[in-house]
Amino acid sequence: MRLPSHAAERLGLDRRRFLAAASGALGTLALAACDSMGPRSAKRILMLAESGNEKIERVLFHHSAMDVPRASATAAGSHFPAYFISDDVPIWDEAMNGVWHLEVSGMVRQPLKLSLSDLAALPRMGYKLDHFCVEGWTAVATRTGVRLSDLAKLAGVQPGARYVDFQSFDSDYHESWDIESAMHPQTLIVYAQDGHYLNPAWGAPARVYSPVKIGYKNTKYLTKIVFLPERNGGYWSDRGYEWYGGV
Amino acid sequence: MKRHHAVVRITHWVNVIALTIMVGSGLRIFNAYPAFARRGESFCCYPFEHRAIPANLTFGGWLAGARNWHFAMMWVLGINGLVYLAFIYLHGEWRDLVPRRGIVRDAWEMVKFYLTVRKDHPHQGKHNALQRLAYFSMPIVGIMAVVTGIAIWKPVQLAWLTNLMGGYVWARYWHFWAMLLLVALTVGHIFMVFTVDPYSIPSIITGKYRPELSPEARNARPLVHLLPPRHEPPAEA
Repeated sequence: MRLPSHAAERLGLDRRRFLAAASGALGTLALAACDSMGPRSAKRILMLAESGNEKIERVLFHHSAMDVPRASATAAGSHFPAYFISDDVPIWDEAMNGVWHLEVSGMVRQPLKLSLSDLAALPRMGYKLDHFCVEGWTAVATRTGVRLSDLAKLAGVQPGARYVDFQSFDSDYHESWDIESAMHPQTLIVYAQDGHYLNPAWGAPARVYSPVKIGYKNTKYLTKIVFLPERNGGYWSDRGYEWYGGV
Repeated sequence: MKRHHAVVRITHWVNVIALTIMVGSGLRIFNAYPAFARRGESFCCYPFEHRAIPANLTFGGWLAGARNWHFAMMWVLGINGLVYLAFIYLHGEWRDLVPRRGIVRDAWEMVKFYLTVRKDHPHQGKHNALQRLAYFSMPIVGIMAVVTGIAIWKPVQLAWLTNLMGGYVWARYWHFWAMLLLVALTVGHIFMVFTVDPYSIPSIITGKYRPELSPEARNARPLVHLLPPRHEPPAEA
């Protein structure tokens, strides 16, 4: 039996052509991952996967699943990032728009219009909570506010309301949620963080916050909470981020 | 001789595509916050905190694109892995891949051979001890990648799982390590195929293999048999 001792010889390649072929193959592999968006035709498949994932996420969702930050976790305090889409920190202009109110409307028997002191007078809940940003960071803060499920009871939400839209005065920022996540006991209309009324960088006068949703779903600078029969997209959900955004 | 069943070949090529996209999109997601520390804290165990991965190693274009690819391709990778494992279990091939008694001694013999301390290739069957260790750890690391990935995906709804990993920050860290190990095993595998047994390349495409060309029969070390010989000057008569 003759054992050929040289691969390149058997393949009929000389040294130079072999090295060229090998580096060509590696180059193709590298290009495949070269900061690409991938083929445009894949968009439909990606959206199909997203709707499939949403079904699984809704099955996994339980009202009894609570966020409890690690005992060793340090509160982010002043290191808590400040995100908004307007050019400058959105600040409610009382001179132009009158006193700030939070409106609860849509499919409710009793629409509400609550001032900050109305909110502060309602049963108060405070939790030390993780914040899960879509970018991958987490931050711990104590959030104080009113459970959205309490506001829903006050307003008398009708049975057909399956979705909730959270609207803001940060340009046209809004995000709509499924009602199940909105009624989670840790879903709060927050007006204080770490024991102080919200500062404008963090969404003053009030924002929605729940650890069951990724950061961008939690609208800051709230103006309206609208109960709806259908979903109403959202600022980032309309720009390619998944609509459900469950944690 | 038929060496690789069609199921093994197809799952290998699906893996090439799925793993490339999972790693590329994962690195793009990582680049949105290329660090592990919780805000307001520091992290002990990653020396490159806040340094981005080079963009040309990433896939998906931007964070949302990469996330959409990652959360779609995870199904391809996961189902492909299950098909492969089910096949090698039902078809009996797992026997060639699980560690046997004496694997440490056999692996040491292979190391000695590669370091040219030992001259002849140890006869260890279809896969030698080092191959068995590598091929056996691949699905284990794959499962690790999936489990740590789920822990990052659902740190509230599946908090018990995330807590098992030491919390979200650590789950993310272990997910990163699982990726590094998968890449290392894959690169090592491809390197050894090309440098030790390039004759086996057709067998992952057509399935055909000539056993007389095996590394054992050729007493082959990486690269040694690859390049054509330098032609000797004609012997003096």
